[in-house]
Amino acid sequence: MPKEVMRRQASDNVYLHRDFHGALSTGIEYLHTKFGEQAVRDYVRQFTNSFYAPLKEDIRKRGLGALKEHFQKVYEQEGGRVSFTLSEDELVMKVEACPAVTHMRQHGYAVARLFFETTRTVCEALCEDTSFEAQLLEYDHATGRSVVRFSRRRP
Amino acid sequence: MIPCTDFIPAYSELFKFLEERGGRRAVVDFWEYLSDNFLGNLRELAKEHGIRGCWLYWSHTLNEEAADFTMELDEDAGEFRILMHKCPSKGLLMGLSHVEPYHDYCGHCDVLYRRVLEPLGFECIADMSECDKARCSFRVRRRKN
Repeated sequence: MPKEVMRRQASDNVYLHRDFHGALSTGIEYLHTKFGEQAVRDYVRQFTNSFYAPLKEDIRKRGLGALKEHFQKVYEQEGGRVSFTLSEDELVMKVEACPAVTHMRQHGYAVARLFFETTRTVCEALCEDTSFEAQLLEYDHATGRSVVRFSRRRP
Repeated sequence: MIPCTDFIPAYSELFKFLEERGGRRAVVDFWEYLSDNFLGNLRELAKEHGIRGCWLYWSHTLNEEAADFTMELDEDAGEFRILMHKCPSKGLLMGLSHVEPYHDYCGHCDVLYRRVLEPLGFECIADMSECDKARCSFRVRRRKN
């Protein structure tokens, strides 16, 4: 049988490897099992504060519009259905089904018991050290459907 | 939600978090856990198709990751090889100005895949000597008895 060769450059494909959701879920389940629930929250918070530092700076400068733009891009990229209600002091984000949970359920990956922390803790940590706060109002573990409210902190 | 395009920084931060909690051993324990619990598809493909299973597995993942690579399969010789000209994961981490990557980020690849393939009768040879340039190679050979 002749030797087969595949040559690809980065520009030949779009960077979108949804199986990574399964790897993150596996990591969250591992942390939960080995180090407990708080470790999961600490890790997600640490990651958010570190990696999303430029976004947090943008939220401090531009307010809730920066958050809306971020999540709009995220859900568009992953094919998720999301709606926003934005006013000066409040942003309500309704996600019909989390694209990560949908992908994992379709492809047989286990969804970590605390996978919802990638919504709750990420949103809360994005608001830390800003004028806003986040509340996860609804979350469905089967689909990842969620409602998050971002609002201006009261003095 | 953390989008899949932000997974690599999340992964790198998880390695750092684990090392802070439990040292290097905690990181390697996690890589072994991930190999055992997440790479079932590679395991099944290699069991069913032999060395071609590697080709099938990485054809999917490396294209979705938009990697710059050459992949070779020589079934007669029982050999499969990936030449990673620019790793999208390491390249992404190296391009971040505000986050320091985990110091042995590339170490996970060798642990994860070796742990799946060696028990199935393959030998794995990883060359990570140019990881700092986001380049590496990974060769899988059918072990001769």
